[in-house]
Amino acid sequence: MAQLGWLVPLLPALSALVLAFWGKRLARQGDWLGTGAIAASWLLSLGILADVMVNGSTSALRFEWARFAAAPGQAIQSLGLGLQVDALAAVMLVVVTSVSLAVHVFSMGYMEGDARYKRYYTMLSFFTFSMLGLVLADNLLLLFIFWELVGLASYALIGHYYERPEARYASMKAFLTTRVGDVAMFVGILLLFRELGTFRFAEIVEAIEHGAVAPHVLTLAAVLLFGGAVGKSAQLPLHVWLPDAMAGPTPVSALIHAATMVAAGVYLVARAYGIFAPSADAMQVVAWIGGLTAIFAATIALVREDIKQVLAYSTVSQLGYMMMGLGLGAYTAGFFHLTTHAFFKALLFLASGSVIHAMHHVQDMHRMGGLLRKMPVTGLTWLIGAAALAGIPPFAGFWSKDEILLAAYHSSTPALYWIGTVAAVLTAFYVTRATWLVFFGQPRDRHLYEHAHESPAVMTGPLVALAVPAALIGFWNSPLSGFAFGHLIFFHEVHEAEPSMTVTALAIGGALLGVLAALAIYAWRIVPAATVIRLAGPLYTLLKRKYFVDELYHWVFVRGTMALARLCAWLDQVVVDGVVNGVARFTQGLAEGSHLVDQQVIDGAVNLTASGTVAAGNQLRRAQVGYVQAYALTLFASVVVGLIIFTIGG
Amino acid sequence: MNAVQIIYALLAVVTLACAYGVVVAPKLMHSALWLGATFVGMAALYVLLDADFLAAAQILIYVGAITTMILFGIMLSDIRDLRAPGEGPWWRRFARLVLSPRRGLLPLLAALGFAVVLWGIAWQAPWPASAPPATSDVTSSIGRVLFTEYALPFELASVLLLVALVGAVVLAMREGVDNR
Amino acid sequence: MIPLSWVVATSAILFGLGLYGALSLRNAVRILMCIELMLNSVNLNLVAFSRYLHPDQPRGLVLAIFIMTVAAAEAAVGLAIFLTIARNRTDIDVDKIQLLKG
Repeated sequence: MAQLGWLVPLLPALSALVLAFWGKRLARQGDWLGTGAIAASWLLSLGILADVMVNGSTSALRFEWARFAAAPGQAIQSLGLGLQVDALAAVMLVVVTSVSLAVHVFSMGYMEGDARYKRYYTMLSFFTFSMLGLVLADNLLLLFIFWELVGLASYALIGHYYERPEARYASMKAFLTTRVGDVAMFVGILLLFRELGTFRFAEIVEAIEHGAVAPHVLTLAAVLLFGGAVGKSAQLPLHVWLPDAMAGPTPVSALIHAATMVAAGVYLVARAYGIFAPSADAMQVVAWIGGLTAIFAATIALVREDIKQVLAYSTVSQLGYMMMGLGLGAYTAGFFHLTTHAFFKALLFLASGSVIHAMHHVQDMHRMGGLLRKMPVTGLTWLIGAAALAGIPPFAGFWSKDEILLAAYHSSTPALYWIGTVAAVLTAFYVTRATWLVFFGQPRDRHLYEHAHESPAVMTGPLVALAVPAALIGFWNSPLSGFAFGHLIFFHEVHEAEPSMTVTALAIGGALLGVLAALAIYAWRIVPAATVIRLAGPLYTLLKRKYFVDELYHWVFVRGTMALARLCAWLDQVVVDGVVNGVARFTQGLAEGSHLVDQQVIDGAVNLTASGTVAAGNQLRRAQVGYVQAYALTLFASVVVGLIIFTIGG
Repeated sequence: MNAVQIIYALLAVVTLACAYGVVVAPKLMHSALWLGATFVGMAALYVLLDADFLAAAQILIYVGAITTMILFGIMLSDIRDLRAPGEGPWWRRFARLVLSPRRGLLPLLAALGFAVVLWGIAWQAPWPASAPPATSDVTSSIGRVLFTEYALPFELASVLLLVALVGAVVLAMREGVDNR
Repeated sequence: MIPLSWVVATSAILFGLGLYGALSLRNAVRILMCIELMLNSVNLNLVAFSRYLHPDQPRGLVLAIFIMTVAAAEAAVGLAIFLTIARNRTDIDVDKIQLLKG
């Protein structure tokens, strides 16, 4: 079964192709085709995972794409398309196809009547194909190609409502910001290639294990690769695009910006762990950026009014957790959190989509309230997702987050443990806040409330479907299953972390603390929100304005680039045009000089010759006196002179 | 100095004086007569140089023919005598001639230069101071040579004379034809 | 007996006189006469050299004869020309005969 790995990305690719060219002619513009293809891929992925789990089989396909002539002394280089299926890839395939399938089905309801329905499904298929290709790539170059394709799909989907300027700017912002990371990543890839002469993960890792790369070079390469992950997974400082990307359709946010594409950065680190792990410095970088991002984003999520914004910053924060986990050496924990997060975050996003749909595309939470009564399915599934996010056992998030905190606790940087714990508290707080504002209490906008109703089955179905793994998938890596996940996904050896009661207690306690605090402010009004805001004062402003990061970037990069552009324009106009004009004037001067020369000198010479000849003739004519004796005189004078010379000479 | 040299010197001086007279004589007629005298002097010099035939020819041709022709020409035509170097003693006339602008100094220089150079050459050249003994009969050898070696030039000379004759007649006759 | 240099000197002076006259005199007939003087001086030269350097050959003398002939012809023609000119103009001042001027 694992041998059929190549089929998994192929089906969505074909569906994208068909939809692109003939989609308009199909019934319902072909949404069934896209969904069907994904469904088939999903089943295949499940089969592959089962195969891998049960039989431990792997698959590697290799297709040589190009060969290079070798430098003397080196083996012939070849570039290949290679797909590999191993445990990591198999799990990821299931994650991606599951969420994609849910989104496909959900979109049939959410995007109904959209003007560019066909384009939407085409891009969804294309995105899924790219993501699956990224997962299966066995070498850095191929991964990078899919990496870029995924970015392209994201750009297209964020800008789906391109009549709106915020959508256009958001898609550009996403693309350009991730580009910054991609450049670093590509440099890292090339650096590794230069050192080792190969792009393949297996060969690179093996070479590194044999010490083929100097430590500082390895660190540099790893950090550069991580740069790409920072961009793609919206870590500090390249996180700015993700909140803006919420301008895209909500199902897109669920698929791309919660579960899959942003997870690609984490997946990269996991896939290339053999490059990161040997470098302690690189690991530190990864862990710290992850940790700081986690708490940074969590603080901003506290004060957001838009429901999707809350979820977006939450995603950034959770991705930070994953990175932190990986950076601390908790390979299994980090990846496990990626898996659980994909399900419950997708669930949350789709549920919010359901709410937004019911609220006629109002996203401001302060206009919602008490929706549980009106949308019970949505509300309940949301609650499951929220609980998972908050890390309340026995839901999925608890297990994975707890493992990461455990790793942090045991690591050499306990500071990260405290950062992670505080972030967990904040996570619980903001998700409870959002839950309360949307589903409980008194509706704040009566008119909207009246018109709200539960979404159709095509939308609630996926919610329920996702709620199941959101609730239960945590058990995959729990003591109950004998840490099965850990036996599947590991690095070098199975690592069974010693459970720490302290950590677990603090984790659960922290989560409950966050929940209760939020309830205290919003539900029971012990301390009204307004009071808290007033007390927080400037801190609140700081959070509200997202630490002014966007403003900073605008001033430094945007205005800097504009200033540079103006400088170049000035250079072009004054210097370059000046040179060109100068050359033109010089040529003109030359031409005039030439003309002058021609007139004065050349014509002068010609005229001079003529007049000279005439003057000479006139002068010589004077000898023609017509006077014979003068001629005779001249004759004899010459004879005399000749004679003298003759006698003297001879 | 022996007798021959003295005689030669005398004759030479006389001839030269006559030649000078040709140049400076105020009247044209006189000038022609001086010319005739010069020719006679030349003949005498030829005699001294053992060129008898030539002396005779000189007198016959130059004195007899040319001088006469010139005289007749002067007399029978309306040739106005132009101002010769004027009246006065010979030295004054010469001076006037010489010092006259344009006609005087340059030609004099040319002539003097020429003469001086020739004289210089003459003095320097290692020519025999005395004549070698004369051959027996120069005249007959001239005659013989004229009709053998130099027959062609002889004939050409006669043709030339014919041409000159015809030309002179033609020139002189033209006026005559037109006048008629 | 007579040094050759004397004779050459004589002819040189004679030639010089003739030359001077030919160049400076205004009357055309006078010029003609001076030319005759020059020719005579040449004859004298020829005779002298013939007598002193090649006394057995008549070559110099023959040439002198030819010169005489040509001189005669030339004097005749020249005189005819001058007389013709004198008929057309009032005089034969060579200063005034400048039709070829220019």
